[in-house]
Amino acid sequence: MSGSLDSYLVLSGLLFAIGTFGFLARRNAISMLMSIELMINAVNLTVVAFGAFVPALNTHAAVIALLVIAVAAAEATIGLALVMAIYRNRKTPLVDEYDSMSQ
Amino acid sequence: MTYLIPLIPLLPLAGFVVTGLLGRQMGRESHQIAVWAVVASWLVAMVVAFAALAHGFGIGDGAGITLWNWIPALGFKAEMGFYVDALTGCLLIVVTTIGMLVHIYSIGYMAHDPGKWRFFAYLNLFMFSMLLLVLADNFLLVFAGWELVGLCSYLLIGFWYPRRSAAEAAKKAFLVNRVGDMGFALAIMAIWTQLGTLNMQAVFKLVEGGGLSSTWVAVVALLLFCGAVGKSAQFPLHVWLPDAMEGPTPVSALIHAATMVNAGVYLVARCNPIFGAAPGVMVVVAAIGIFTAILAASIAFTQTDIKRVLAYSTLSQLGYMFASLGVGAWTAAIFHLMSHGFFKGLLFLGSGSVIHAVGDEQDMRKMGGLARKIPITYVTMLIGSVAIAGVPPLAGFFSKDEILGGAFKSGFLWVWAIGFVVAGMTAFYMFRLMGMTFWGPSHVDPEVEQHIHESPLTMTRPLILLALPAVFLGLLIGYPPESGLLHQWLAPVFEATIAAGGRTEAAYSFLGIDGGLAIVTTLLVVTAIVAAWRLFGVDMPAIGLHAEPRPDRVREVSARRGLDFLYRGSSAKWWFDDLNNLLFVVWGGRLAGAVWWFDRVVIDGTVNGIGTVTTQAGLGLRRVQTGHVQNYALGIAIGLIAMAIGYFLIAVR
Amino acid sequence: MPIGDSIPLIGIRWDDVLFVALAATLLVSALLVVTLRDIIRCGLALIVSFASLAGIYVLLGNPLVAATQVLVYIGAISVLVLFAIMLTQTKNAPARLVFQTQTLAAAVAAAVIAVVITVAVLATTWPSAGQRLWTSTTDVAHLLFRDYVLPFEVVSVLLTAAVIGGVYLARREISGDGENR
Repeated sequence: MSGSLDSYLVLSGLLFAIGTFGFLARRNAISMLMSIELMINAVNLTVVAFGAFVPALNTHAAVIALLVIAVAAAEATIGLALVMAIYRNRKTPLVDEYDSMSQ
Repeated sequence: MTYLIPLIPLLPLAGFVVTGLLGRQMGRESHQIAVWAVVASWLVAMVVAFAALAHGFGIGDGAGITLWNWIPALGFKAEMGFYVDALTGCLLIVVTTIGMLVHIYSIGYMAHDPGKWRFFAYLNLFMFSMLLLVLADNFLLVFAGWELVGLCSYLLIGFWYPRRSAAEAAKKAFLVNRVGDMGFALAIMAIWTQLGTLNMQAVFKLVEGGGLSSTWVAVVALLLFCGAVGKSAQFPLHVWLPDAMEGPTPVSALIHAATMVNAGVYLVARCNPIFGAAPGVMVVVAAIGIFTAILAASIAFTQTDIKRVLAYSTLSQLGYMFASLGVGAWTAAIFHLMSHGFFKGLLFLGSGSVIHAVGDEQDMRKMGGLARKIPITYVTMLIGSVAIAGVPPLAGFFSKDEILGGAFKSGFLWVWAIGFVVAGMTAFYMFRLMGMTFWGPSHVDPEVEQHIHESPLTMTRPLILLALPAVFLGLLIGYPPESGLLHQWLAPVFEATIAAGGRTEAAYSFLGIDGGLAIVTTLLVVTAIVAAWRLFGVDMPAIGLHAEPRPDRVREVSARRGLDFLYRGSSAKWWFDDLNNLLFVVWGGRLAGAVWWFDRVVIDGTVNGIGTVTTQAGLGLRRVQTGHVQNYALGIAIGLIAMAIGYFLIAVR
Repeated sequence: MPIGDSIPLIGIRWDDVLFVALAATLLVSALLVVTLRDIIRCGLALIVSFASLAGIYVLLGNPLVAATQVLVYIGAISVLVLFAIMLTQTKNAPARLVFQTQTLAAAVAAAVIAVVITVAVLATTWPSAGQRLWTSTTDVAHLLFRDYVLPFEVVSVLLTAAVIGGVYLARREISGDGENR
């Protein structure tokens, strides 16, 4: 089971689906960001799994995974800063109250 | 000599530009440049015209000059070129001479008008346009001149544009002319598509060579005649000319009597090879002409506005010319054109002098007894009236006699018969005009009466100068009849067409049919004059003639004989304006209203319906745009799923 | 004494036991992240899921990525998230405010995505070596600082920009007229 690529990929898919659900369903902006982190992690798991099972990708996968983690860190920084900024303006962390674009 | 030709139209053009740009600054002297430009143009035109007449320039061998290629398009070519032959020469004499005299006359007539500079600028522009029309060597250039004279006519009729009637008359003239011009434009298109050239001489050569099928010849001739009908105010497009009398009187004399309205006659005469090849159209020309002649003459009987009488008289005489063209008496038509130009110009200028004298009053019922107060005007107008009536040996006698003789001898007896009647009517209404204006007791407003004075020299001199050709022109160029100077001049232009027509005419015989016709006509004319004399009063103490005017007799006689409807019809201008009003204003308005309704309800409805549907759809779809970011994200997710599933269904399978 | 590859008597491989345990922890904690009402607990569950994912990386023979996962995600991002929560969450949000109105649609969409990915994974024949390969940290270092040196530098610039941008965005406006931007 642990020696099969498929099990890691299915695990990654489930994690991604959970992240998607959280992103679509949660009202809190920080919850949405956490869901995004889950989805990024799912993708990263896929990359590492391919690296572990496909010989040609072995070291490349590790490099890509590291770069992804770095970019995710940058993304989290900016995302959380944006949430802070919006929160200061609107006095609420709830995304569905950011409705100045609706009629 | 050919290098002189472009000068003739260019001098008035230069005058127009200078006067138009600087006239306002020149103040009282604004006429100077305009008048001198026309005088110079006249001198050059005389040289050119007599050179052309002396050399007998005809079709194909006239003096031509091409200035530049006007419209060089692929396959299409129109050149800025002039062409002078004997016919052009005759027209040049009429146009420039009368034009010059009218310019001089206008110095006095318009002296106190604040828009004087504008007037002279327009007059110069008109001279340029008319000369361009006469001199042009291709149809497109003729058309340009044709439209330009129409524009000048519009501008000058509406010269006193604050007056509502003047503005409307100008519009009417312009619109009615457009109808005819449409025909002319179509004729040009037909010529281009059928023959591939617009140069007149080339077209005539091709037509004479049989390059055009008989159907197309008839179509082109008919369309050209359509243009001529509009410009020369023939039935049924005659309604604009009487209204055009709203313009200043010199304009009426120059444009609406002596020159522009002759453009149609000139066009038909110029295109004699085309018309000669279409005998059926010639009959139409003759019929329309002679019908207009009697129609207009009958209306002139009862009009009371002095200028309107002259306007209907002009219509009638133009009808004569077309009748003459239609029966194949080409030279007689041009002869009448020239003589009519002079004596009608004289009559109009004289009427202007009368109007000037009685304080801008045009109603003849408020005139009378003016003969002794404005003698020069009276004498010159009397000469003009005798000339137009056709009393020998004045100009009108010769030209009218040739037309009637030509109609009679070429077998158009009906044309002759109507023309004969019209000759008597012409004499009657002209002397009715003279009687109501100059003879009998005065009906002038007493306040105005004290100020009646003869016009200044600038106005009376042109009258005298025009009276000379009215008297002598016939003898000079029309005697002996049918072989006079004019016939020799114009023979090169018309001989080919006459020969092709195959109509042989008996030579003129004094003691035969021609002499007989002349005597009969003259007797009728004299009778009519005497009748008018008796009815409208004669007062010539010098020879002891005196009669009380009885103008109401006309009405009494017509009422007694049960012919009252004739009188009413005549004074209502045979209801043509009412008919046009009904047809085009009332019914046309209703049609336009229906079209407007259709446009509003159906077309606008469709367009607005599409707009409404779009708006409503947008309002409905707007709900989709919630502004909530997660709704959009769900959309992305759904799209992603759809794409993935689609990929499975299509690619993997 | 070295332990064997599989559990004595039952014969199940240790690797598989470890995988199932980590995977179960990962999925459960991830579900807790997206379903718990208390957002602080969400954050804590997020740390658990990060940690179990790091374990899976070890299982995949990639200790370098596992170590980075622990350092960056648990050490930095989770702490950042908790800070943000502290700064924005003044009181517990009521239960009905946790989820959007479109929760059901989101659940269906997520389930469909899971099914689609699973089907796609199982239906595809991967060029797999059939066994896990150990990733040498030395090789990774060589590759990263030779072939990938430009992306590496670009990422460093990106991180710098992110730091500056984050500071700018999160900074409380004090100067000027005192208005919040």
